[in-house]
Amino acid sequence: MSTETMTAKDRVIKFLQGEEIDRPPVFSGMGNVIKPVLDKNGLNFARVHRNPDQMATAASGSFLDYGFECAVIPFDLAVEAEAMGAVVNYYDDVDGMLYPTIKGKCVKTIDDIKVPDDLSKAGRIPIIVETIGKIKEKLGDDCAVGVHILGPFTMLGQMKELDDLLEECFIEPEKTNAMMERVSSVIVDVFKIYKEAGADYLILREMGATSDVLSPNSFKNLVKPHLIRIIKEMPQPNILHICGNTNFIVKDMVECGADAISVDQKNNTAESREKIGDNVIMCSGFDPIAVLHNGKLEDVKPGVLEKWDGANAVMPGCDLWPDVTSENMQAMVSALKAGRPDGS
Amino acid sequence: MRLVQIAGYLGSGKTTFLLALVQKLAENDKKVAILVNDMGEIPVDGKVMEKAGMKVKDIGGGCVCCTLSGSLMNTLLAIGREQNPDFIIIEPTGIAVPKNITELAQRVSKKVEISFGATITLFDTTRAEKLVTYDTLKRLISTQIKDSDIVALSKVDACDADAIKFSKEEVAKMNPNAEIINLSTKEGVGFEELASAVMEIEVSA
Repeated sequence: MSTETMTAKDRVIKFLQGEEIDRPPVFSGMGNVIKPVLDKNGLNFARVHRNPDQMATAASGSFLDYGFECAVIPFDLAVEAEAMGAVVNYYDDVDGMLYPTIKGKCVKTIDDIKVPDDLSKAGRIPIIVETIGKIKEKLGDDCAVGVHILGPFTMLGQMKELDDLLEECFIEPEKTNAMMERVSSVIVDVFKIYKEAGADYLILREMGATSDVLSPNSFKNLVKPHLIRIIKEMPQPNILHICGNTNFIVKDMVECGADAISVDQKNNTAESREKIGDNVIMCSGFDPIAVLHNGKLEDVKPGVLEKWDGANAVMPGCDLWPDVTSENMQAMVSALKAGRPDGS
Repeated sequence: MRLVQIAGYLGSGKTTFLLALVQKLAENDKKVAILVNDMGEIPVDGKVMEKAGMKVKDIGGGCVCCTLSGSLMNTLLAIGREQNPDFIIIEPTGIAVPKNITELAQRVSKKVEISFGATITLFDTTRAEKLVTYDTLKRLISTQIKDSDIVALSKVDACDADAIKFSKEEVAKMNPNAEIINLSTKEGVGFEELASAVMEIEVSA
């Protein structure tokens, strides 16, 4: 007999607000477009990023068909950079699924970062806004709608040569800071637009700040101040997600002030919990490629359950790779809905 | 097909070396495919390679941890099944560091035959001091070098013996196991040695 007493939306929101919930939510802060849903609805991956009806259908499918308790948009990482003038390749003529990318590097100096007068009308931002509304029409108050935006370092690294950016950070940090500041303002303003449009929770994804690329010291001095500012100004509830090996910076992540932090499969969450204490909401990521996409059906349950150690919720460590099977999706959702293996 | 990774900081001479390398491989009747990726694209390099007659495939964007990984995985599978080149060369750019690409290719190697060739990083000797002292650069550079089997000290024709010695010592500190080769593609220094290493070296992943 089910002991569930909340809707998926309430569960996600109350979880992020640190309130009592009937069980941990089964959700994500990253994209959840999957091929079984695209195929079922006759949708084309390259076109789904620009059509609110199609994007809403694709995002809602993992809730409607599998009980995954969120609809997260957008599916690609180029929306806000595009709104600031970057040209995006959607790979319309490519067979298979390629995520849109920014064509070339469009920023050398701060003057190249063009902030539109009205961000709500810039690029695909109105499409995301319309999609939020359409998801709400489809799912009502049953399911939580999440919207993610890249962090300032990662977004700047999309628009400016990463090597140049890293060099400039050292030689002329004031220039980099000015650019990060401008991009951060855009991030805050766009988050407000998405919240106003009805987003239930917001995710700041700063994957470029992984410890493979930036030293913990560089993260602390260069990226963290901007994340603190964004999180202070952006609406709630919110999640800060950084992928890769984040054990060295997990305390800094917490100090950025988000309602929850999210880490991926490379983080040792038991070790992180030791560092951050018991009062921080930490979502632990399982490997969406190795476990969910490549894993055999019988491997999915143990693959996701092993990530409970030290975590308040387990979720995909990154976007779901769309080519996942229906069976593995079902196995993942039911394994996580059953809660912690020890029942705690 | 053998997977070879060629990494290096912007301006380290990768494109010049790659162009010469693919020409050399073609002269040896080797079929080559090149994958380019980034959190954005690297269209200039890609176009240069296409003009040189190489098959260049873009693997799209997305987060390098999964969505880009998924694209790379699918592309490796498709290339392996449809073209089966002798060599597939990947230039890890942006935050896609060599060890992550190797891990991913290991997964694909269960479905299509892939052997692992050398991972090579080009280290620009003309900017050695900057590369090892700037805190913000050092992490990415040392990650690339630690993941490498061979480090080519590039542009040795443009610097003096002291700079080369300094570069060699710094690289050896970061990865004592890497083979270090002096390289000037323009002058032909070390190129044959490095091209032979690409053709001959197979490592256990």
